[in-house]
Amino acid sequence: MKAVMLDHVSKIYADGKIAVDSVSLCLEPGEIFGFLGPNGAGKTTTVKLLNGMLIPTQGTCTVFGINPAVQPEKMHAFSGVVTEHAQMYDTLTGLQNLIFYGTVFGLGASESEKRGKKLLRELELTEAENKKLSAYSTGMRQRLSLARALLHEPKILFLDEPTSGLDPESAKNVHAMICRLAEEKGITIFLCTHQLRYAEEICTRYGLLADGRLLAEGTLDALRKRLCSGITICIEADGAPKGLLCRQVRSSVFEVEADSRDEIPELVRRFVEAGKSVYQVSATEPSLENIYFAMTKMYAQNPSGD
Amino acid sequence: MDRRMAAIIKKDLRGILANRQMLCTLLAVPAVMTIILPAVFLSILHFAPEEMGDLEKLLEMLPLAEQDKDVQINMIRLILNYILPVFFLMIPIMSSSVMAAASFAGEKEKRTLETLLYSPLSVKQIFTAKVAASFFLSMSVSSVSFFAMLAVLETGARLTAGSFIMPDRKWLLVLLLISPSISLIAITLTVRISAKAKSVEAAQQGAVFLLLPVILLLVGQFTGVLLVGTWLLCAVGALCAGMALWLLKRSMKGFRYETLLKP
Repeated sequence: MKAVMLDHVSKIYADGKIAVDSVSLCLEPGEIFGFLGPNGAGKTTTVKLLNGMLIPTQGTCTVFGINPAVQPEKMHAFSGVVTEHAQMYDTLTGLQNLIFYGTVFGLGASESEKRGKKLLRELELTEAENKKLSAYSTGMRQRLSLARALLHEPKILFLDEPTSGLDPESAKNVHAMICRLAEEKGITIFLCTHQLRYAEEICTRYGLLADGRLLAEGTLDALRKRLCSGITICIEADGAPKGLLCRQVRSSVFEVEADSRDEIPELVRRFVEAGKSVYQVSATEPSLENIYFAMTKMYAQNPSGD
Repeated sequence: MDRRMAAIIKKDLRGILANRQMLCTLLAVPAVMTIILPAVFLSILHFAPEEMGDLEKLLEMLPLAEQDKDVQINMIRLILNYILPVFFLMIPIMSSSVMAAASFAGEKEKRTLETLLYSPLSVKQIFTAKVAASFFLSMSVSSVSFFAMLAVLETGARLTAGSFIMPDRKWLLVLLLISPSISLIAITLTVRISAKAKSVEAAQQGAVFLLLPVILLLVGQFTGVLLVGTWLLCAVGALCAGMALWLLKRSMKGFRYETLLKP
């Protein structure tokens, strides 16, 4: 059974704005799917559609075989959601909040407390468990939201910018936790993020969204192949041979586009034969960031895709 | 009652008790209606001239269940059984509206509604829990108010006329049928308004706009109903209860996630 399936899903708001435009996607259980796109691309709308908060104008979606538009409560029982719009109660302490949500998800108060304390320990919030939420920083709130979403041991987690407002160390810990959840517990992660470097580190597959349209989806390798087949060779030398097609990025650093690593020895030979001293050679494949910007740029230049 | 819904009710009640501003608003109306107003009536009665010829004629015209020789006793009986029930009915309406107005709009304002909607409870169950919390609070405030009012009046009667006065059996109907029914009507309407409002203030304003004509209509006519007899009071109570249940059932159908989360 697919963890998530979107079949030509569109959402048009009452004012005529097309938030999601015929998006089709499939996620296998245990995947960490990075859903990337600029603000207003339709990521949050997609999360809401997948949780039954919005009803699709066209198409259907299912989460572990359940249609969230038809049986949202059934689907909520095995899903966890973290978004900036889903906050908790300022008048309650961190632990009281977790006990409340645990009870709402059908757990007993003592079981909620036990699980809550364990999650607070894992998310380094034990010291703040008895502080009211009004005293929490943005980062602490974000981590507590993650604890709340994990309390009922969901099969799937929808995370909308889970590390926004976190310091680099906390963000790293949260990402490590997300990886652990997918690896050890087989939880499917649907991650909406702007932090492309982190996404590249933890996601197994990606979907690139712009103006509600899915520009591309697949593994990093698949996206690389789709955008360009080659690699970039970076050479640090005291000059470049005449006639070589290269890009000077710094005073003594040159970049050459190549089909594969096999071209490196020939390239170095040309530098040496031209009497240039070579200090360093490295080959890089396009990063997720490169792919993201290239694709969004291509889309901006030609939105219709003709 | 579902344990999950009970958790929402408990949380809502704790929330209102922790909010000093809302608690003051909640207690202001009952304090005026059950302590200050009876005290004012009793003071007027106490300091009024002993010869009250016109008042005696008026009392004779009223179909009071039992007439006493003492005018002051009759007056206190009139206040307790025919005047105060009218004011008393405002308590469940006002107290339930305060909490009901904050039910959905308050959650929206604090951005906690979406989190609650991601739970495995249906919108209908969340709506029921919100209504139940307001209803429980309203009935608690009404009960305490009734006994506070009775204490003030009995003390006044003892001091003024030297004897206690039993409340009329119509009070039972007011407390057990009319007050809960009217409270439920007010809550259902206010929760509906709250679900569509952007803020608690907007919900309260909407509730007042809707409930004020209802209060005026009800209060204006209620003394007459009390005077006509118990059977009419029963009929009015049954009508209110039926209306409350119909409204509740109808309101539950209209709730969807999308409309609740509309900015």
